[in-house]
Amino acid sequence: MTPTSTFGVNTMLSSKHFFLLPALLTLVAIILFPLLFTIRVSFSSWDVFQSGLDYIGGKNYGRVLADERFWQSLGRLSLLSLISVSLQYTLGFALALAVWKQVRGGRFLRVLFLIPMMTTPVVMSVIWRTVFHESLGPANDILGMFGIGAVPWLSSATGAFISVLIVEVWQWTPFMFLLLLAGLVSLPREPYLAAAIDGAGTWRTFWQVTFPLMAPITIGALIIRLIEASKIMDTVYVLTSGGPGTATETSSYYIYIRGLRDFQIGYSAALSLVYLVIMIVSLTVIAKLLLRLLVGKVG
Amino acid sequence: MLQVDQLTTDDPKVSLQDISFQFDAGNIYTILGRTGAGKTELLRALMGLNPLVEGDIQLDGQSIAKRPVKDRSMSLVYQQFINYPHLSVLDNVAFPLRRQGKKKAEAQLLAAKMLTTVGLGDFLQRRPAQLSGGQQQRVALARAMVKKSRILMLDEPLANLDYKLREQLREEFPRLVAGNDDSVILYTTTEPREAMELGNTMIVMTDGRIVASGPPADLFAHPPTKDAASVISDPPISFISGFVRSGALYFGEGQLAPNNGLHLPPDGPVTIALRPDAIEPGGAFNATIGLSEFSGSETIVHLDFDFGRAIMLVEGIETFVAGTRLSVSIQTEHIMLFASDGQNITTRTK
Amino acid sequence: MNKFYHILKTLFLFGWSLFVVFPFLWALTTSFKDANAITSGATYIPWVDYEPSTQGWTSLFTTGSQGINIVGPFIDSAAVTLIASLVSLALGTLAAYGLSRFEYRLGFVKNADITFFFISQRIMPPIVLAIPFFLMLKELGALDTIFGLVLVYVALLLPIAVWVMTDFFAGIPKELDEMAMTDGCSPIGAFFRVILPNSVPGLVVAGMFCLIFGWNDFFFAFTLTFTETQLLPVSIVSLNSSVTPWWSLSAFALISVAPLACVAVIVERYMSRGTMSGAIR
Repeated sequence: MTPTSTFGVNTMLSSKHFFLLPALLTLVAIILFPLLFTIRVSFSSWDVFQSGLDYIGGKNYGRVLADERFWQSLGRLSLLSLISVSLQYTLGFALALAVWKQVRGGRFLRVLFLIPMMTTPVVMSVIWRTVFHESLGPANDILGMFGIGAVPWLSSATGAFISVLIVEVWQWTPFMFLLLLAGLVSLPREPYLAAAIDGAGTWRTFWQVTFPLMAPITIGALIIRLIEASKIMDTVYVLTSGGPGTATETSSYYIYIRGLRDFQIGYSAALSLVYLVIMIVSLTVIAKLLLRLLVGKVG
Repeated sequence: MLQVDQLTTDDPKVSLQDISFQFDAGNIYTILGRTGAGKTELLRALMGLNPLVEGDIQLDGQSIAKRPVKDRSMSLVYQQFINYPHLSVLDNVAFPLRRQGKKKAEAQLLAAKMLTTVGLGDFLQRRPAQLSGGQQQRVALARAMVKKSRILMLDEPLANLDYKLREQLREEFPRLVAGNDDSVILYTTTEPREAMELGNTMIVMTDGRIVASGPPADLFAHPPTKDAASVISDPPISFISGFVRSGALYFGEGQLAPNNGLHLPPDGPVTIALRPDAIEPGGAFNATIGLSEFSGSETIVHLDFDFGRAIMLVEGIETFVAGTRLSVSIQTEHIMLFASDGQNITTRTK
Repeated sequence: MNKFYHILKTLFLFGWSLFVVFPFLWALTTSFKDANAITSGATYIPWVDYEPSTQGWTSLFTTGSQGINIVGPFIDSAAVTLIASLVSLALGTLAAYGLSRFEYRLGFVKNADITFFFISQRIMPPIVLAIPFFLMLKELGALDTIFGLVLVYVALLLPIAVWVMTDFFAGIPKELDEMAMTDGCSPIGAFFRVILPNSVPGLVVAGMFCLIFGWNDFFFAFTLTFTETQLLPVSIVSLNSSVTPWWSLSAFALISVAPLACVAVIVERYMSRGTMSGAIR
């Protein structure tokens, strides 16, 4: 095996591996055992209190497939993620465009708009809980000033769903804003000059020039955000505790209940793995779809 | 002093094929070749940046093919201006000296002297990004020379500079590298004029091989093969197929060619090479004028003959109207003959 | 840009700014309230709507049964986040550099696969690893310790560092490394003396993302710590579930998020220089 690299004959074993191995070994060491353990446990009925691991074959997995509550949580998660990420993308893009060429106060606005994504989700959820408090909080109070009746933010299924949505959009739109603005800032100028010469208006210029040029970043941003959004847990935990009932119970939350509340470790392991596989598959599919959709359009 | 034996590499772009050569100290070798000929690959292979599939490199009799890059006593100046962005000009040039173990003060002193030699004495504290292209290349050159390595390699160093700057630096070059009696200088270029001007030995490469080497004037007068001839000439040589019959030389379909003093090979096909200065207006041959362009203070005219195309070089700026007919003569002193295997078979009686 | 768009844009920016700022302002005024200010409904402006009091803030710095103590959790959060970020940044940068300059081969696994392996760790939902991590730390005797948390956080933040720095290094020409080597550096020397000094923008961006995701984690800290080590997010959640007055909660929340809000300023500076676009693809 002739070593090939930038450094030709210099690929001394020590240099090349010096760089990669520490990180690789660390990651594998910390992640591998837990992962293997999870797989093993998923084939048992362990509930922490027993001393050993039994073997029950694929019973847990059969139970997962029949678990309506799990599949509903998946549906809820998908709905929540898709709506919230779409909103984040649209708003984030609009904000990025609005702030892009803004000179007056531009810097201030950019810093301000970044702040929410730097905050701790659980901490903000604590605050939002006081905001959405139906009798003592400002949300209903302000609505009341406009003559709108009190909204059951946290006590109704729809209200709770929307509350979570609002918090998510507040928290993560800045992320889209950041990525998209960074992309806008490094766009080439020539296409815009050409469009101006052709007399294209603002709207046309956006769809014909800006949006296609931003396609790669759009895809990257959407995928990253979808990956992170699918893991949502903190906000739900604090704001609604999955409720009322199971109205905002996402898959992570349900798995948490089964695992760390009911202590059905074996079952929650099986749930986790099924969930992981579903996530990887659907995210890959979405990624490919987006690529074809957006890059195909650009040509 | 530097011996290369059967150097072979395997590279997706262009692989070196069995290169063998001996470089002697105190000489400047210009390596001439088109883009993709393997010039850069050769330098990188010598440097240790590209791995060898076969062959050996010997410096002063010792094999260095397995030595790491930093132990080879070589320096390289790139075509793109490569300097260390985070260091001042002075520290840029002092960098290799510091790596050699010299103390900061001593290194900076030597660096400052070298920078004065290349004309950048007033720019010591600037960052490379603040300099012009030509100045950045001088920094790179200073850094390459300051450590007095045995082999100094320059890979098309002037290619990214504008015309005027290139000419100016080309003139300065001999002075800049003077006093290098113990080292070998390798300078690659795609321009024949540059190669012939700067080196005392010229090496011609095509497709990863060395096809000719020797004193520039000799190579120019008598290129050993057709490939070498086409690379060396600027403006390009025109090749026309012809044949010899009954002791006479013919172009193309059968036009008789002048051959005063030229020794003709036995009957059979030959390739006739016409140098641009072989053709002059006024003579027995008829051609249609194609493109004409100016180059410096000369005019280059593309001509269409019955037997093929050729390029004519005329002193001074003259107008030639495309599409019109022109009568020209062909001077035999500037013709060459090549056999079907590409070998130069031109011989003349004195 | 005609008048209509201009007005629309200004309204939009103003509206969004209000939305962004709202929870903070609300928390701020609430932190100065006492029982009287809350029970009759939402109040907004101090001295006008209610009488301000400082008990929300003072309670944070008193320990004991009456106090809440924010100092301990703050220090713990800072320690864990900083250490884990530094380690992740160091290891991740080395790995990213190796992946961008050398060719690795392990059977059929190549560079791109290794990079994907690193980055795909982010897909893993925390819940999948929570219990195994718990057991692992228990075996190591590292439950409820800063060391244990750092271990886990490094696994979480390493992929981020690799993600950002891989892309960053792709933008540095390899000729620079080569030049360093011809000048007498070993490959490792070239990295530390030449490439690293020129990598500051990438390091800052990667470092900041590590800090953000580290400081803001709740779930792992929640599962893996109890009494000895208390991170800010866990503290506030347990305060939230016990009967803690709004004013203390609000004050606590504001102090928790203050440090990273400052980071926003730094991120903005690098963002407007366009150095971040490389980190995205």
